[in-house]
Amino acid sequence: MNDRGYVNYFEILELDHDCKPGEVRKNYKKKMKDLLVEISRSNLNQERRNHFLLDIARYNAAFYILRDNERREKYWQDRSTVIELEESWREASETNSNDAERLRRSYEAALRHFLSTYLEEYMLVAGRDVECVEASNWDVAHERHAGPILRHYRQRMHQEILERLPFYAVTKPKVDWEERTRTVANILAG
Amino acid sequence: MAKKNTPIHTVSQDMIERCLAKAVAQGDIVNFQFMFLPLSPLRDDNTEELSQDKYAYLLAEEFETSDKTYLEALGEIKRPDIKSFIQQQLQKKAGLPQLPASCVLQLADNAVRLRKYTSAAQAYELLRLRRRMQEEFFNQADAALEKGNIPKAVRGYRIATGLSYNYAAYPEPMPSVPNYQTKALLLHALYPQKPEDSVTTLPLEQQLKTAIEYLLLDGESASRLENLSQEVKIAFITELVNQIDPDWEEFRKRYRESQAIVKQLNTLLQSRESNGKNPDNNGLTLMEEIQAQQAEVDFEAIPELLLGRKIPNGEWWQYLKELAYVHPAAVFFVIRQFVSRDLEIILPPIIQGSPLVQALGLDTV
Repeated sequence: MNDRGYVNYFEILELDHDCKPGEVRKNYKKKMKDLLVEISRSNLNQERRNHFLLDIARYNAAFYILRDNERREKYWQDRSTVIELEESWREASETNSNDAERLRRSYEAALRHFLSTYLEEYMLVAGRDVECVEASNWDVAHERHAGPILRHYRQRMHQEILERLPFYAVTKPKVDWEERTRTVANILAG
Repeated sequence: MAKKNTPIHTVSQDMIERCLAKAVAQGDIVNFQFMFLPLSPLRDDNTEELSQDKYAYLLAEEFETSDKTYLEALGEIKRPDIKSFIQQQLQKKAGLPQLPASCVLQLADNAVRLRKYTSAAQAYELLRLRRRMQEEFFNQADAALEKGNIPKAVRGYRIATGLSYNYAAYPEPMPSVPNYQTKALLLHALYPQKPEDSVTTLPLEQQLKTAIEYLLLDGESASRLENLSQEVKIAFITELVNQIDPDWEEFRKRYRESQAIVKQLNTLLQSRESNGKNPDNNGLTLMEEIQAQQAEVDFEAIPELLLGRKIPNGEWWQYLKELAYVHPAAVFFVIRQFVSRDLEIILPPIIQGSPLVQALGLDTV
């Protein structure tokens, strides 16, 4: 099962699935402290600033989701559902089953929900959480800047998933890369 | 009233092929996708008819049908497997219609040739080839650069950066588009207090780096050129400016004319300073201001001359924005300047000895 692209907050905080809320808090605080020290020692440019902002948002979201048992279960269930749907659609598509189109629609809806909830919405909500604010110094200015960065992150994850999905908007291209290299050379030669 | 899904009119296969071939030949991904949608006039079960005037743009004109690219596209569309696939998709009642990949690939290549980079980026993205194609253009451009073929390298970089995608766009990712107008305002966001505050008077190495980043609209691509010598960077920028802006020569003439007015302005400012008055504060007396206004130097003519037209009641930033749109590189060679208490304009500074300025033919006469 390939789960690349479906964010795993347990991995981000280096936790086991059966971890206790206390362990979540402990790992989060340690990781956030290390990150803030790294930020204070870095020469910040635009790229690094965006990178650090994303890291803070990821830690905050991981802590916010995993420390609450109900939210944690819902997150893991949504993640498992979307992964299963991907598998089902892929199988149906390979066997040219009539169900392929229905599964694609279900998968796309589940994926959209998963990405927008766990890679964007909760990251912003976590930034307003008292404990997260205290540990990460996240404020309104961070939130304002985070919008496009989180959208970009979400799309990057989406692209990782998309690379392995069956083609549906176009037929699968047969690409000969030697021919592509020649085409590029021709175009550049004018 | 016609029942849903019953043929309302018939579109001939020849017409379908002509329309699709035109979109492929012109590298037009929007039209190509549109023709497969449920509301497409190419479908038999649609009330929209291809014969309506509003769809004339989809049909290939007589003179276009002898074009080599069009004939190649038509040849691909007429291939038996593609032809039957297209018919199948145009009759599909439910679900998303699929586009034939070989036609989309041909369309993308044609779009690149026609410099329709956003269309090409969309088509390559659909085929999931965009990043690799972009990398291929970068690699061949770098190879050309190593061999000293600057025009080819610039062409490669322009295409590769033109194929960029903006994944942070809302609500959906879309191809990156040139936004020189916004970037120009950022370059001149702060009023220059010291020479290094202005892009025009930056140290050469920094100026070249900023210029490449600004003109390529992409910091990451620009970083590939960081290790080049200053001479090659200058040659690269000069070629890039000429390729981006075919009217650069016209701008160059106007720039030089405006420099003559700036020389008069310099004389005036120097005389004010020698009298102990700062030109941009409230230190002027009413009489001095009236005298300045009545002086022969028409300051507002400078931005007009640079842009080539007057913007009624135009502020400096309006001139700058429009200048960036018409001549993207021009904003690199102007500065903001208060010429009286209420009037701030953009003007060409008098710079001596800058190799970049010389290479672009903007040095003082």
